[in-house]
Amino acid sequence: MANLNIVSEKERTYDAIVVGSGISGGWSAKELCERGLKTLVLERGRDVQHVKDYPTTNLYPWEFEHRGEIPHQMKEENPVVSRCYAFREDAAHFFVKDKEHPYIQAKPFDWIRGYQVGGKSLLWARQTQRWSDFDFEGPLRDGFAVDWPIRYADLKPWYDHVERFAGIAGDRDGLAELPDGEFLPGYPLNVVEKYFKQKMETQYPGRKVISARCAHISKVQPIHLEQGRGQCQNRTLCQRGCPFGGYFSSNASTLPWAAKTGNMTLRPDSVVHSVLYDEDKKRAIGVRVIDRNTKEEIDFFAKVIFVNAAAINTNLLLLNSKSNRFPNGIGNDSETIGKYIAFHNYSARISASYDGYLDFKTDGRNPAGGGYIPRFRNLYRQETDFLRGYAAGFSAYRSSGSDQSGYGEKLKNSLLNPQLGNWGVGSHMMGETIPKESNYVVLDDKQVDDWGTPLLKISVDYDENDKKMVKDYLDTMEEMFDYAGFTNIKRNDKWQAPGLDIHEMGGVRMGRDPKTSVLNGWNQMHDVPNVFVTDGACMTSTSTQNPSLTYMALSARSVDYAVKELKKGNI
Amino acid sequence: MNRRTAIKQLFIVAGGIVIASSCSTDSNSASIQLNQIKLKASDELLLSNLVEAIIPETDSPGGKTMNLHLFVMKMLDDCYSEADQQAFLQGLEKAHKNLKVGNEVTYLSALPEDDVFKNILKRRTIQGYLNSEYVMKNKLVYELVPARYDGAVKIEA
Repeated sequence: MANLNIVSEKERTYDAIVVGSGISGGWSAKELCERGLKTLVLERGRDVQHVKDYPTTNLYPWEFEHRGEIPHQMKEENPVVSRCYAFREDAAHFFVKDKEHPYIQAKPFDWIRGYQVGGKSLLWARQTQRWSDFDFEGPLRDGFAVDWPIRYADLKPWYDHVERFAGIAGDRDGLAELPDGEFLPGYPLNVVEKYFKQKMETQYPGRKVISARCAHISKVQPIHLEQGRGQCQNRTLCQRGCPFGGYFSSNASTLPWAAKTGNMTLRPDSVVHSVLYDEDKKRAIGVRVIDRNTKEEIDFFAKVIFVNAAAINTNLLLLNSKSNRFPNGIGNDSETIGKYIAFHNYSARISASYDGYLDFKTDGRNPAGGGYIPRFRNLYRQETDFLRGYAAGFSAYRSSGSDQSGYGEKLKNSLLNPQLGNWGVGSHMMGETIPKESNYVVLDDKQVDDWGTPLLKISVDYDENDKKMVKDYLDTMEEMFDYAGFTNIKRNDKWQAPGLDIHEMGGVRMGRDPKTSVLNGWNQMHDVPNVFVTDGACMTSTSTQNPSLTYMALSARSVDYAVKELKKGNI
Repeated sequence: MNRRTAIKQLFIVAGGIVIASSCSTDSNSASIQLNQIKLKASDELLLSNLVEAIIPETDSPGGKTMNLHLFVMKMLDDCYSEADQQAFLQGLEKAHKNLKVGNEVTYLSALPEDDVFKNILKRRTIQGYLNSEYVMKNKLVYELVPARYDGAVKIEA
């Protein structure tokens, strides 16, 4: 193998290395650079620069060869990514194709990936709900996984910090289970969403319907202008990359900010093979990179390493970082790395129609997507025969359609004069799953990828708890819909493979005890104090909220701690 | 006029237009490049008559002028399984045999509900029409940058 280590070691040495440039890596990079650390950001995929590398962003529907549809052959060749709702002609170039990066499914697992600068932060659904102590205290109260080593009070200032910078739209709802934050104005619920909210408040006081909080600049502030970002223009074409920087992504926000400090070196096309460990120093000393294109090997060195490779790939990287001291992967004295993988259960949805409010319609588009129902089930006490609960999306829409029967002038006329129909309403479930040792990822002992890294074998499945929860969600929502006078209620519990929720978490969990967890309360490895993991891999439990906001806050908090420790000489 | 003569005459008229916009030097092949299926100029002509029958020219352009048949062909080529493509091509072959020019609507209407040829043709024609630059700019205007959301606009019920 060619070796690029001819460049002097000094030139390959930084203060900090961040592995990954997605939503958490971008935050790690920004915070490290702002604190004056010379930071190398390694990204395995190609470079994607804000606006310049969004080729489809300003295209009209008729400018897409297949009007948005993915061609048949591409679907056949890429069954996994084709199941993702956002894998469409306008954003296909931001998704990993199945064939390019194989993995082994011991059980069906739809692993959705975005290998480029910015990672999946270009593609995410931008929902940003805070955790509360109902979430952090879950494992302790209900006796699963291990106790989180932090509580809401530890993270609150960092939620504040990242929200102010990222731009989060939301109402101040005053809910203990979903704490308010540093919000820009929330997007309004529409008439039917509001109607449902009020109906629920009278009949089911614990069940709140709020405007979904989301990472969109609903009212631009100086801090956003300083990033070169502007107000969200309600395009809802976010997956293409936003020319206004209206939603938060690493590309629009944290990475350019980090670059502006002069402290960031961004190296795309850098597949990190392993974290290097020095037995004498008892520290990680750097990382080994395989150049994506040339396959050349090059080592980089730093005092502190942030691993933000995205949950599953962070597991892969750590497991592959073997040394005499750590034969089963760096920081793995607990032998829990790769285990206790969990996710969100998105396997149920329900829809209906409503014939009220026919004298209203909506105008423009809502980037928040509508309403959000925070978890109410088993919130204050255990009340069902399954553990934990679910949050739910709720939205109402009034679309217009036309009679498409017949041919000729009648049809043409009908197509050009669409009529408003009844309101449609829909909800989807976001269920907490319980992390279990039996849901795991491991390195395959035979097959390797094009960069010499072992393929990952994924074995993750639903359990009885998930099945009971799906039934409860559907029964409960049906009852609520029925009470609201919605008709034509349709339940859908078509089970999707884990992974398609794109909320895979865990495997490198935080905890108080080094014997049963990998990271302490600062996202710092118990066994290797200069390695920090602040992406989805660190999650001890999943709760129900969309997790990205929590990764951002954990990253910023962890960097603050790491830099203080560095300055004290502790790491 | 028998069917063959009629098609031939139409072919001469419409064929000239097709060839003019074609990259192909082979006047017997379709005017756009297709990768999975083979279509002849005569197929293209027949399809252009059919899309015109589905969306006729009125005071605004119809299917033929808007090249909706080319969109149907493109989608058939790229977005269907081989089985669907074959079923469509069989339907097209039948239309060549049985469809009298001018009788397109009657012909399509008489096909069974689940006829693959009819369903793909009609669905893609409508899709191509509604998503065309003409319709999206002049009739049902598509906004790339709405810059607003109002969740409660009062209208006449």
